[in-house]
Amino acid sequence: MKGNLVQGLLVVLLVLGLAACRGTQEPASTAENPQPAETPATAKAAEPVSLRLWTHQNNAFNAGYEALIQAFKATHPGVDITLETFDYDTYIQTLQTAMPAGEEADILQMFGTWTAEYAERLAPMPDSVMTVEQAQQLYYAAPIGGYIINGRLYGLPQEFNCEYGGVLVNKTMYEKAGLTYPPAWKTMDDVLADGKALTQRDEAGVMTVAGFDFNASDPASFSFLAGVLQLGGDYWNADRTGFTFNTPQAKQMLQWMVDAVSKWGVLDPVLFNDTTNWVGSAFFEGRVAIGYIGTWAIAEGKNNYPDFADEWDYFFLPSMRGDPVFVADSGWGLTVSPNSKHQDVAWEFVKFAAADVDNALQFNLTSGTIPAIPEVAASPKIAETMPWVAKALQILPYGRYLGAMPDRDLVIYDILYPHILNALQGVETVDDALQAIDDEANATFE
Amino acid sequence: MSTLTVGRAKKRGGLWVSQRRFILSVTIPMILYSGVGLFTIGWALVLAFFDYSPGRAGGPILGLGGSNPFVGLKHFANMIDGVSREATQFRISLRNTLIFALAVLPLNLAITLPLAALIESVDRRLKTAFRAIYFLPVITSSVGVAMMWGYLYDPQRGLFNAVIRLFGGTPVAWLSDPRAQFLGVSVAMWAVIGAYLWQDFGYNLVIFIAALQGIPQEFKDAALIDGANPRQVFRKITIPLLRPTLLFVCVMTMLSSFQVFDIIQVMTNGNPNNQTRVLVLDIYDNAFRYQRMGWAAAVSLVLVVIVMLVTIVQMRLLRTEWEY
Amino acid sequence: MATIAAARARSRPAFDRLRCGLGHLMVYVLLIVGLSMTLMPFLWMILSSLKTATEILRVPPTFWPDNPTLANYLTILNDPKLPLLRFYGNSLFVAVTNVLITLFTSSLIGFLFAKYQFHGKRVLFGWFLLTMMIPGQMTMIPGYLILAKVGLLNSLWGLIVFSALDAFGIFLMRQFIESLPNELLDAARIDGASEWQLYWRIVLPQLGPPLATLGILTFMHNWNAYLWPMVVITKIERRTLPIILTWYNSQHSTQPNLTMAATVMIVMPILIVYFFFQRWVVRGFTMSGLKC
Repeated sequence: MKGNLVQGLLVVLLVLGLAACRGTQEPASTAENPQPAETPATAKAAEPVSLRLWTHQNNAFNAGYEALIQAFKATHPGVDITLETFDYDTYIQTLQTAMPAGEEADILQMFGTWTAEYAERLAPMPDSVMTVEQAQQLYYAAPIGGYIINGRLYGLPQEFNCEYGGVLVNKTMYEKAGLTYPPAWKTMDDVLADGKALTQRDEAGVMTVAGFDFNASDPASFSFLAGVLQLGGDYWNADRTGFTFNTPQAKQMLQWMVDAVSKWGVLDPVLFNDTTNWVGSAFFEGRVAIGYIGTWAIAEGKNNYPDFADEWDYFFLPSMRGDPVFVADSGWGLTVSPNSKHQDVAWEFVKFAAADVDNALQFNLTSGTIPAIPEVAASPKIAETMPWVAKALQILPYGRYLGAMPDRDLVIYDILYPHILNALQGVETVDDALQAIDDEANATFE
Repeated sequence: MSTLTVGRAKKRGGLWVSQRRFILSVTIPMILYSGVGLFTIGWALVLAFFDYSPGRAGGPILGLGGSNPFVGLKHFANMIDGVSREATQFRISLRNTLIFALAVLPLNLAITLPLAALIESVDRRLKTAFRAIYFLPVITSSVGVAMMWGYLYDPQRGLFNAVIRLFGGTPVAWLSDPRAQFLGVSVAMWAVIGAYLWQDFGYNLVIFIAALQGIPQEFKDAALIDGANPRQVFRKITIPLLRPTLLFVCVMTMLSSFQVFDIIQVMTNGNPNNQTRVLVLDIYDNAFRYQRMGWAAAVSLVLVVIVMLVTIVQMRLLRTEWEY
Repeated sequence: MATIAAARARSRPAFDRLRCGLGHLMVYVLLIVGLSMTLMPFLWMILSSLKTATEILRVPPTFWPDNPTLANYLTILNDPKLPLLRFYGNSLFVAVTNVLITLFTSSLIGFLFAKYQFHGKRVLFGWFLLTMMIPGQMTMIPGYLILAKVGLLNSLWGLIVFSALDAFGIFLMRQFIESLPNELLDAARIDGASEWQLYWRIVLPQLGPPLATLGILTFMHNWNAYLWPMVVITKIERRTLPIILTWYNSQHSTQPNLTMAATVMIVMPILIVYFFFQRWVVRGFTMSGLKC
């Protein structure tokens, strides 16, 4: 009897397992090979093409891509494009393993600075789609720069990635604190003074509102790099074969950041940093008064916090000294896999999405990004819905290319920012932090 | 046995053939399958001596060679005195892993041993109930545990700081303050140790309860009659009889805490300032975030050597101890 | 026993009895304190999951929810980006398949090692237990590369192929099968049963308790697994529950009411299973500890 029971149990489990297997496998396979709507009449005339598009996960961006895909499908019957998204870290991992195996999607979203790393495994753009010269005429130099490798074009940018200088400002808090609004900052000390006045703490002494939060990986790193340049230094050696992070200018800049925390008290770097109370969220939760973050976070914030009631706007900071020189880092764009069976259609989509002025405008509006095309940036529609872009236009000409690093993400996110954070939190001295940055960043050349 | 001989005598040939066929049809797939396992281990060993990244094409055999060059002992030399980010992070991870394991063990025993004795002393039905509830965290997914505890530790909205505020204390940023220390170990490390202990103690607890049940009541009663008090009985009789279990538990606890990953990855991801970064997290990050698989394989080799050493020491100790 | 009881009674005046009562009280007090510390995180999770979005942001936090609501659970269930049923299906598929395979291989190989004599048996047994004692962190990287080569990344089968043999399971089964009388097998052989029939008809039906124990342990292990599934699966729709939980947390890190509700939904099924099989589970873990 007992034996029958066990066998019966095994059979039930087996059936369950198979059922679960079916349940998980079937929908997945249909998602992978989507069948275009059956239209027997046209099926023979135009062979149905289905493409996959991979992007990193960002709600505002993805909305932009969905709209582009719909528009493209409307004008290209028989073509279907599926969007697959991955979290940022997962996306990198997926690209690096899928590409050697030749399993990547037909169209790949790429960050401009990554393109050099992946160029071997990407399809160069045919001249019939666009030549390098045409591209250089169409786009700003910084964003297209990342996609030109050894004189060949590997993709088209969809945005101008500018992590430097832009801050979200909470108008409601300004008015409550009785400060001049809109802010009339002449120097960075003016910003710190406002930040100090806007900071709030509870009765236990815990900071509840950070006056000026610049402590996230992109803002901290890029304001540090820009500061070094503005103070007259450079983080590259003369022939660009190594980093020089241990310079007097770098020291001055990092010391300034540390003073902002320890002397001015505009920010508690333990409670507000990249992992806890990330500025892009904390601002829209009313816990940051001046929040240093790229424009791309605006659309995301509006999307995620529809109920945020405070009034706010986006401004650009004054420079540390002299011209607002800064480093720009290309931007997100689209590339095509050489393993795609329909490269022609894939390129058509890339051009449709990134080079058509109307579509590019639509994408920038949906994703809240700065246009990579000057003509789009000048559009009145941009000025109307995203006034901050108009403000950004004044500093964009000062943008320099970041420079080709062996591993850009490693240097920025795992070396530069962690040590800046250490200095801000007081667990490393300014000198130690810079020495460590210099050592570790130069070790990435090996 | 007698029936088997009878059977054999009758139709020896047929039986032997069918038995041998059965043995072969089970062992051959098994050997092939564990051959894959051996191949995997060999590959892991080899990787540790190459600068391998799956993103690069490399040579013809397993992508080794070419743009994934052989580097000999470079990774291991780098671990000892390299200045690169991965070298410093490895040394920090190794240190943290040792701290973690050495802190978890005594704390775990200090909780589980007395608790097991307490539970053992109560009424039988209550004992089952207590044991069942104390065991709950063990079967909870460690990711779930990390989520719960991450929120308990939340600096603004967590329960711990709420209690501290209630008594007028200063709230602590448990998982994110790199300056906060206790006994020379960062508070963030203590915080993850706390969560880990909470999840893990039930396991050792049931083992101790089972071991205590295995000690014959007559031993204790005899001692009681001789005038010993319960505490003396526990110290003089129970503990010595528990020694093999105790040793076993020590080693298992050590081994699993050397391999801690889930809770830390979810709660702190090694932050603040790498103060909770442990070896498995370091291996995972290097292999799958940075694609430095050669380096990650070298780090995992170090971890395996440590684990093996602990296991061997344990086996030696156990073998001698078992003969009480 | 009687003499001992008598001895106890004799040596115990009234004062001693009082002290003993107090001691007992202390034991219960301690046990209940420990109990509440064990249950508190669960309670806090459940209470937090019942709070409204505004209440959860209050500093300092409330303990009991002002207006307990199930809204967070509905939000999660209605989230189009979070097809929970599919993730339950993924986890169930991986766990159940692994249980079936483990039960089959462990009992079969356990049977082989328990009841058959052949050349190289000891060597085989030792060698292959050794290969399985290597910690997973070491084989994780080549394992991943193998899955990439054969195209099983992002497939649930990738979470299954490497776990077909289980050292503890084989040990457990061998131990148990050794205790079965040989006469049973021989009698069946005489009746003309093949060796496979012996396994299926004679041995397997006797293995109820150890199979149940092993099955539950394997199920829980796979259901809660985190590191390997995270490495193998990057596509959102193929993920298993623990990975989807951290993913959901990263998307809603500032809304603990939602993340705690999600945690409840992902932690609870296994606790309910545990509630029914409590005895087996605890016994299984105890065995896994006292073996080896």
